[in-house]
Amino acid sequence: MDIKIVDESLSCIKKYVNEKIDIGVILGSGLGDLADKIQNKIIVKYEDIPNIPKSTVKGHKGQFVIGDFMGKKVIMMQGRFHYYEGYSMDRITLPVYIMKGLGVSSLIVTNAAGGVNTSFNPGDLMIIKDSINMSFDNPLFGKNDEKIGPRFPDMLGAYSKKLIDIALKASHKLNIKLQQGIYYITTGPCYETPAEIKMIRFLGGDAVGMSTVPEVIAARYLNLEVLGISCITNMAAGILPKPLNHKEVIETSNKVKDKFTSLIENIIALI
Amino acid sequence: MNLLDRIEKAKKYINGIYDENIDLAIILGTGLGDLAETIENQIKISYKDIPEFPVSTVSGHKGELIIGDLRGKRVLAFNGRFHYYEGYSMETVTFGVRTAKALGLDKIIVTNAAGGMNPSYHAGELMIITDHINLLGDNPLIGKNYEELGPRFPDMSQAYSRDLIAIAEKAALDLSIHVNKGVYVSVAGPNFETPAELRMLRMIGADAVGMSTVPEVIVANHMGMKVLGISCITDMAVAATLEPVSHEIVLANANRAKNNFLSLVTEIADRI
Repeated sequence: MDIKIVDESLSCIKKYVNEKIDIGVILGSGLGDLADKIQNKIIVKYEDIPNIPKSTVKGHKGQFVIGDFMGKKVIMMQGRFHYYEGYSMDRITLPVYIMKGLGVSSLIVTNAAGGVNTSFNPGDLMIIKDSINMSFDNPLFGKNDEKIGPRFPDMLGAYSKKLIDIALKASHKLNIKLQQGIYYITTGPCYETPAEIKMIRFLGGDAVGMSTVPEVIAARYLNLEVLGISCITNMAAGILPKPLNHKEVIETSNKVKDKFTSLIENIIALI
Repeated sequence: MNLLDRIEKAKKYINGIYDENIDLAIILGTGLGDLAETIENQIKISYKDIPEFPVSTVSGHKGELIIGDLRGKRVLAFNGRFHYYEGYSMETVTFGVRTAKALGLDKIIVTNAAGGMNPSYHAGELMIITDHINLLGDNPLIGKNYEELGPRFPDMSQAYSRDLIAIAEKAALDLSIHVNKGVYVSVAGPNFETPAELRMLRMIGADAVGMSTVPEVIVANHMGMKVLGISCITDMAVAATLEPVSHEIVLANANRAKNNFLSLVTEIADRI
């Protein structure tokens, strides 16, 4: 990542935000409403920040919402950037660099994912224990600036044990059942074939999606603590005898919205 | 010029030469171009004359569109295809399929030469593709989506039409041609796979490996076309018994499979 790009975007957003932010949250497909619960809201449209692309996905609003949430200073992204939209990994992960620049030390990354593990059900929430990068790209390709992060970041413990424990504690309190598993990223945008889903299961994936991994790699590079939560919006291809569609993804994420919201509220309160 | 305009330009040119109904598109894989010779009442259009069409660089691939009759069906045959390893973008690789759909076609037979990884296969046999694994590391639908062409997130749960597979199996049975059924994995190439890679591809569930087909099938599904895939097993790619393979061996074995391939595809065209 070019530090000049980050600085340019950061100095712009700092015109809106003048205090240290504690926690960043990236809201996945259909999960954007959570940001509406932020108090003392500051809304910054992506289009007003230099270098940030426009989100092209329906159901993604395309803005940062900054303010107070469960006693913490938070920045949430309503809408994220996906590789399948044609953006470079640099652009996809730029918001993570901006969050780091605003003082964020913990990042919660959420997404809508297909269930590969046949013991999952649509509507389940899954704590991401680990991920498999099959995007065939990496946000850290290119010249490395040691001032930002190491050339070879460690990915052991990429998903913070401490934050996973907090999430489990919150789920016990709320009596919400959480799945745990490994998130596998594909480029998309087509859904996977049944043969690909069998492969993904064989390789160890429990859920499959088209996001999250680039942001997590960038976050670990920047030494942020990461918590990943997938909303299992549908079962992956070949598991149920029916075709997949984006409508189902949005419908399921709408259904779990309340569960998801209370979970994130309680997690953020405990961080 | 955006993709829609480019498709329209190619379509317009072809329609200027031929604008009647066509029943079926066929993409001819490496060494399988001879099918083109059996098409009757041919109209040939060279790729280089079609606006926006790329030109194929592989030997054994001709680079022309043939419109004509195959056992009573009007077909559009692509004699020569475009591969990712030639350095083309995915959009270019799949441009022919986009054009076929614009010409009104909704069924496509995609053929290829592939390495057999399932140890029960033999070089010279045919395989009906039941499903695929995309290991190209790229996807033709990355970038802006044109809703006019298809949805942002196309379903791939039945990328290969069960109806067409049933027709192909029945045709093979009636012609006494042995066909295998299996999963095709596409890799970028252009080098052939190492034994270690072949072991891995076998482990993840593939029966045959090649360097084409998947991009075209993804794009065909994006546009709601019905797809039949047929691989010609031109060499055995089993790690334990791997022998050096060359493009010449591939062509020689494709030649051996040719008669079965020609009879089968012609029979399928008749029954579709």
